[in-house]
Formats: sequence, C-alpha cells, structure tokens
Amino acid sequence: MGESEKALVRARGLRKEYGSGEGLVRAVDAVDLEVARGETLSIMGPSGCGKSTLLHLLGGLDRPSAGELWMAGRRVDRLSERALARLRRYEVGFVFQAYHLMDELTAQENVELPALLAGRSPGEARRRARQLLDQVGLAARADHLPSALSGGQRQRVAIARALANEPQLVLADEPTGNLDSTATLEVLRLFEALHAAGLTLVIVTHDERIAATADRLISMRDGAFVDETHLAGGTRGNLADLAGLGG
Amino acid sequence: MQQEVVLAMLAKEPSQGSQLRFRLDRALGPLGEAINDGQIYVTLGRLEKVGLITRQLAGASSADRKVYELTPAGQERVTEWLSEVSWPKPDLAEFHLKLIAAAAAGLADPIGIVDMQRRELLRRLREVERAAMAEPDHSDAGLLLEGIALRLQADLRWLEACERIWTDRRSK
Amino acid sequence: MGRLLLVYRLAVKDLRYRPAQAVLLLLAIAAGAATLTLGLSLRGTTDNPYARTRAVTNGPDVVASVFPGNSNASGPTASVKPGGSNTPRAGAGEAAATPLLPLEHASGVVAHSGPYPVTWTLLQIGHTTGSAEVEGRNSRSSPVDHPRLMQGTWVRPGGVVVEAAFASAFGIHVGDSLRLGGTAFRVVGTAVTAAIPAYPGTCGRPIGCFLVGNIGSYNPGLVWATEADAEQIAGSSGPEAYLLNLKLNDPAEARTFVNRYDASASSSAPTLYSWQDIRDGDAQVIAKVQKVLFTGSWLLALLAVTSVAVLVGGRMAEQTRRVGLLKAVGGTPRFVAVVLLFEHVLVGLCAAGVGLLVGWLVAPLIDGPGAGLLGAASAPSLTGATVALVVAVAFAVAIVATFVPAIRAARQSTVAALEDSARPPRRSAAVISLSAHLPAALLLGARLVVRRPRRLLLSVFSVAVTTSGLVAVLIIHARSATWSLGPQVIQATTIISVMLIVLAAVNAVFIAWTTALEARHPAALARALGATPEQITTGLSVAFLPPALLGALLGIPGGISIYDGARSGGGTTTLPSALWLVAMVVMTLLVIGVLTAIPTRIGARRPVAEVLQAETA
Repeated sequence: MGESEKALVRARGLRKEYGSGEGLVRAVDAVDLEVARGETLSIMGPSGCGKSTLLHLLGGLDRPSAGELWMAGRRVDRLSERALARLRRYEVGFVFQAYHLMDELTAQENVELPALLAGRSPGEARRRARQLLDQVGLAARADHLPSALSGGQRQRVAIARALANEPQLVLADEPTGNLDSTATLEVLRLFEALHAAGLTLVIVTHDERIAATADRLISMRDGAFVDETHLAGGTRGNLADLAGLGG
Repeated sequence: MQQEVVLAMLAKEPSQGSQLRFRLDRALGPLGEAINDGQIYVTLGRLEKVGLITRQLAGASSADRKVYELTPAGQERVTEWLSEVSWPKPDLAEFHLKLIAAAAAGLADPIGIVDMQRRELLRRLREVERAAMAEPDHSDAGLLLEGIALRLQADLRWLEACERIWTDRRSK
Repeated sequence: MGRLLLVYRLAVKDLRYRPAQAVLLLLAIAAGAATLTLGLSLRGTTDNPYARTRAVTNGPDVVASVFPGNSNASGPTASVKPGGSNTPRAGAGEAAATPLLPLEHASGVVAHSGPYPVTWTLLQIGHTTGSAEVEGRNSRSSPVDHPRLMQGTWVRPGGVVVEAAFASAFGIHVGDSLRLGGTAFRVVGTAVTAAIPAYPGTCGRPIGCFLVGNIGSYNPGLVWATEADAEQIAGSSGPEAYLLNLKLNDPAEARTFVNRYDASASSSAPTLYSWQDIRDGDAQVIAKVQKVLFTGSWLLALLAVTSVAVLVGGRMAEQTRRVGLLKAVGGTPRFVAVVLLFEHVLVGLCAAGVGLLVGWLVAPLIDGPGAGLLGAASAPSLTGATVALVVAVAFAVAIVATFVPAIRAARQSTVAALEDSARPPRRSAAVISLSAHLPAALLLGARLVVRRPRRLLLSVFSVAVTTSGLVAVLIIHARSATWSLGPQVIQATTIISVMLIVLAAVNAVFIAWTTALEARHPAALARALGATPEQITTGLSVAFLPPALLGALLGIPGGISIYDGARSGGGTTTLPSALWLVAMVVMTLLVIGVLTAIPTRIGARRPVAEVLQAETA
C-alpha cells in the first residue's frame, strides 16, 4: 500500500463497540492513528473517553469491532490468538493501570516471567530482571512480594516487567498514576533513556505533566480523537517568566 | 527582582556581590540565567540608598570586593517580610476578556485562541519537565520547577474548561 | 423464625443461580445413597424364594452326610490326606452309607430319601471347564426332596440333569453334551432343589465340598445322574459322600435335631445340617453382593464428599465477597456460612430421597434369587431403619464437606472478608524456582496448580478412592475367572465400577473447572505477557497428571486393603495381573488429562482485556 515504513503502528477506522441497539456503547469510534518508530506519543482525555480501550486494541489484548491495525507493516487485527501472543511476547510491552502483578511471585519473579515465557534460560531471565529492577530503583526490594510493596513500587515493577523482552513498542496506561513527584521524575527519566535508545512509546494519561513530555500529544473524547499537538518544537516564551523572574 | 529577596539573602551573613550571585544561581538552577548581574547591583544600590543595607570595602579597592551588610532597619524589614502572607497575583482576567472580546467583535474564533494558547503552554510545560528531569532529586531548583509545572497544569485545566464551555456555546 | 426463612430463601436462590452445580452435586450424593439403599434392602430377599422352592420341592428339614474313608470335608475345599486318595474301598455303596441308616428312624423323623451317592468331578462343556457335584439318583419322585424340573426330563442312562442356576451361569441347555470325569453325557433337563444351595453357593453349607487337585480350581454346581452313571464317574474309589434327606414332624426343631445327632468330630460318623443352613447358603450370594454394595457406597460417599468440598472451596472465595451485600440485611460471614451449610444440607436431603427411590426400584433387578430358586424376590424392604440411615449418611456428607470452609468463614472478621484477603494463593518457592527450568506451558501449569494445595490434595484423594475401588473389583474378578462368584456379584461390581468412574470423572471436571475459574486472571495475565491459549490449556492439563498418577498408585495398596478388609475368611488375596494395573493407571492418566483440558480450554480463549478488567472491577 505504499505507506511510510517509519510508522511502527498504523490504525485505520479502528472501532470497539459494546452492546447493541439502544445500549450500544462506542468505546473507540473510527480512530485513525500513526505512530512513527522511535516516537513518544501521549494520549490524553477524561476518564471514560476510551483511551484505555484504544491501548488494549493496539496491544492485541482485545479485538476491534471494525477497522484495520498494522504493526511493523504486518496486519494484526486478524491474527490468531497464538500469533497475537507471540506479538506480545517479543514486540510489545504493556504497563497496566492496575499493574496486574502476580500476588504469589516476588518482584524479581514477576519481572522474570516474560523472559521465561519467551524461552530464555532461568539465569538469563534473572540477570535481565535484576538489571531492570535496578533501572527502576527497586534492586533492594527484588525479593519482596507485591503485598509488601507500596503502590508506587508496584507500578515500577510493572514497568520493569514490560521491558523484560526488549520490546519495540511499550504501551503504558497511567504509568505514573500512583507515584509521588520524585518517583514520577525517575520514571520519566527512564522513559527518556528508552526514547533515546529508539523505543517507541505510547502513554495514556490524564496528567498533563506526563503528557507534555511526549513528542506528540493527542486529545481524546468520547472514543474519538479531537486534537493533536506537536510538542517537540521550542516555545515562544521564557521559562523564567513563568517563575516570576525577570523584568 | 524584588528588593526584599536580596535583603533576605544578606540576612545570613554579610556577603559580596559575587557570593549573592552564587546563592541565587544555586537556588534557581537553570532559571538563574534570567537574572543578570546588572539587576543585582542596581537593586543593591537602591537598598543602600534607602538605608536598609550598608556597603564596606573589604580591603582592596576594586568594586568586586565590596561587602554588603544589613542595617538594623534592614533586619527589621526582613523579619517583617518573612511573616507576610501575600501571594503573587494570577492574571486570568486578561485572557478571559480576550476571548469575550474576540467573540463579540467577530474578530477571531475564541476556540482557536484557546487551542493556540493550550499548545504554547503544553510546550512550556514540556520544557519545564525536561529541566526538572535534569536536576538532581530533592534539589532547590527542582522544587521551583515543580511549582512552575503545577501552575502550568492548573492553567491548562482551566483552558480545557474554556474550550468545553465555548464549544458548547457555539453549538447552541 | 423469620431468620430461618431468610436463610432458606437465600439458600434456594443461590442453588437456582447455579442449577448445573446443584444438580451434579445431587447426583453425586444420590449415587452413594442409592448404592447404600440397594445394599440395605437386599437383606432377606432370598427368604421367600427359598421358602417357595422348599414348599414346591418338599425340601428336607435336615440333611445328613457321611464321607467314607476320608477325612472330614468341611468348608468349600479340602485337600486329600496324604495316602488317603484313590484307594479302592471294598464294599463301597450301601455298606459305606451304613452310618446314616439309624437316622432314618430317629425320633422326630417322619420321612426320608436317599442315601444318594455324591462325587465331585471335572466338567467340560465345549471349551469351558468347571467342576460338578454329581448326585446319583434314579428317580425324581421321593417323599423328601422332589426336584422340580424346569426343562426337559429326568435322568436316564447317559443323560444328566443340571441344576438350573448352574445351567444358566454356564449356558448349558437341554440337548448339550458335556463330559463328566472324562465321560460324555447328554443334558436332558434342568431342575431346582431346596436340598442344596443353588449355584454359585453350592458349597456354602456346613459340609462344604470335597475338592481334590484340579477340581478344586473351580466352583462346582450340582448335576444329577443315574446311580449307575454316578458310580461310573466316581470310579474305583467310589463316591466320596452319601447324602440322606430327612423330614421332621416339626421343621422348627431342625437345629435341635442337628445338635443332637451331629458328630462331625469323628471322621466316619454322619455330619448333619438343617434347612436353615441351606437357606443361609442360598443367601450367601446376596450377602456377598451386599458387601460389595456397602463397600462401594462408602467409596462413593467419599467421592461425594470430595465433590462437595471442591465446589464449596471454590465458591467460598466468591461467597466472602457477597458478605458486603449481606451486611445490609444484617448478615455476617457466619451468616454466609450458615446459608452455605443449609444449601448443601438441602441438596443432601434431596439426594437421599432420590437415592432411596432409585435403590428401591433397582433392587428387584439385582437378580436376587437367580435362576436357582423359584419365584420372585420378596419386595425389597425399605424399612424405617434403612431410610434413617441413608438420610443420615447424606446429611453427614453434606456437613463434613462444608464444615471446614464454613467454620473458616465464620471465624473471619468482616473486614477481612470485604478485603478478600482471606485466601491469597499459596506461594511455593520451590515450585516457582523449579518450574523456571520447564518449558513455558509446564511452567505456567505447575505454578497455577500449586496455588491451591488443598484442591490438589482433593484431586489425589478422589483418584485414589476411585482406583482403590477399581483395584478391589479387579481382584474380585481375578478370582472369579476360576472360582466364579456368580452373576449377581458380577452385576454388583460392574455397577460400583461404573459409578466410581462416573463420579471420579465428575470430580475431575469440578476440580479442573474451579481451578480454571480461579486461574483465569493469572492465565489472562500470562497471555498478556505472551503465552498462547494452547500453552495455558496444555500446561494445566499436564500439571494435573502427577497428582493423578500419585492417586492411581496409592489406589493399588488401597484396593488391596479394601478387599482384605471387606471379605471374610482366610486365604490369600490374588493380585490382579500387572498388565491390568498398568492399563488402569494409563487409562486414569488419559481420562484425567482429557477431562481437565475441557474446562481450561473454554476459558482460555476470551479476550485478555475483558478478563483483566473484570478482575479489577
């Protein structure tokens, strides 16, 4: 179809509907989207606008009601469960809003799991998990169960787990929702480092501060995109002005 | 640059101009660039004129070696200032009236104005966040940057509300 | 009163909400109840047929026997004293029966028939080999013991009459030819008698049978022949025993008479037994059937307890969350426990009713008296005691299985119940670290299965109970290949085996289903991390195999001890062949594997996001 190879993710007319007739709910309503390789994209909107659903569709965790979805040039909305699973294993990392850690596994074991499922040896998986936990600042808590971790710590374990298999694309649903400003900055630094290494990142958030760190910001309402802002260009104003300095 | 700020910075000990400069930079981080040396010395001059500080020579004759010190009046002023609770004024009315005027005169689309402003603020927010990321944790500058970011966030939320209301008005 | 009504209403509503579970539970408990009812109601079913046969054939009140020249033959088999076999006895015949003659005129005796010569010998018909007790009797009509012909005519030279139950069991018909002791004969008729217990209980009388060598490998049945033919079969050593049938003026005095004249201590003096002994011999078969059914119903009850426990355990988790809603009506975790208990008691009572009905209806079909006695079995007696016992057992099953979870729920604080921290999955560090070395499917399966150790134990238990029952049945059949236990016992063991397998299958499905339900969140998560649905299904199915194997292996000693414990009398237990045991273990693994795959497969295909969202709702 002659589209740009630079786009890692392409969606055309993506829809997700629940119910029927009077009770029809359009969670995602004819969304067109292109995410370039290496880009950081943030999607903002009020709660219930469908941004989480959209993210699930992009990650193959749910099937669209209509529309087309391509990843790395391959059509994925019609893939079998098995092929989708392989996609999730090697290409896509997902950070859930509710973390979804396994309660009976330690932080270390949770982060190891994707690597083990991908067939890496236990030693390799352990090393990789250690390294990732270090990157998110939780090396000291590697042997703690999720019940012994704070919300923010669990969130960071979930982020580390999403990176376990070195995916090309990371989809994050409110990744800093439960973090204080220090931890938030740490996660943002981590995302910045991944961005510098070429990772493509799609962040769904309702927090403007997080959304603004992306290259591009899309606003969503009632299942559809309503606005798009490119943030990478400079500003017209002066930082110091904002602080009340100068003049 | 508020005079009381410079006064308060001399409260710890008598200092030279360069030491003042150093302390300000440390407290403001990247924003410190906005203040040039000239502004500092002008302020110091004014304070000396109204008798809140005194100037002494440290020994050698170059201007750089002047040491500034608080007078008792200056001390009193600092104590007074520290206990004041006034807060910098927000300036929303200007933008608010801008929208109304544009709509009334038919000169521009208020929603377009809001969108443009939103984009600008978002970009500024991005810069602030990037600056914050470059600071070490728990630094003074980082704290200042957080304050800026939070206010930008608040403004952005108001702009979203403006967009919602003005869009609703248009559709009626 | 109002509270009780509320409990009742909630219990019924809950059952209606999950009708399939309730029905399956009811069937599980009903199976055990029906078997128990069957066993209890068979008691005494042969009484009337025996009485009828006795009346029609003018059966004896006392039978006297003598074993000339040999040691006492008491019990079903006896081996020959060394040096005592096959010695030609001079004056065999009338002379050997002399010790019996005084009894013909003893006080109280009003009629007699015989003495008739009796020999035990090998029987061959077609390709089948067995043994036969041959009684020499020329005429059918006699004042005492007048066998009633069911088919054909009475004995004639070269023509023998076979006892009806024996004929039925071996498929012998009038006109067939058979060999007795090597000599060919033709079957000219079949008959029933009350003088000897019907096949397969022929040797179930105080004197037993006198079986030597090869003949002892088979359970003999009665065959009548002419006296001449009988003596020819007996050979040079002569008949091994003589039987004399006596009629008393007062049949009720039969046992007293026996005590007076019985001299079984001495080798050549007569041994006597009463008509009650013969009746009991006929009843022995039914007694064996009862034993099989009682043992079976214990096993089925254990399986039913397992079913209930698994279902209750699986539902306690969701029940504790309902506590929050019940709090509005003043409910507490204790209240929930009471409702749950009540529900299962209700199911248990209904199951008892169903079981009683089924057992009562099926009892006449268990071929009670068989072909060897006349008339229908007496209507199976559903006594008050039977009903009470069956209801009590069903009640107990419901209570025992619900007890532990109910108590746990009652002790829990409301806060803990609402937070649902009551039952976090069990962490097994050993399994987690070991499973890391397994391929993905097995890794997931092992970790998922180990989250609930109690359920794992229940699965081992269920398989162990079933295979114990099957091994016991195999042992019974290993014996029956040669020493036939008769069609009734075979019927009973078949019924028990089928029910055990069905209940075990139901349990396997329950266990797999509750595990799959509980595992759907971690399974969905694993899929989000890259596991395929096939890996989940395979992993869980395979993970259930080691416990199944353990259960199957435990069933082997289990079955042996059940058999040892249940049967009376000495002797060794014949182990079933290794081939059968291996086949049973392999079949168990296959069946468990398939059954667990079904529920897990159903759950593994839902979109991941749906499942994960549901869990956080």
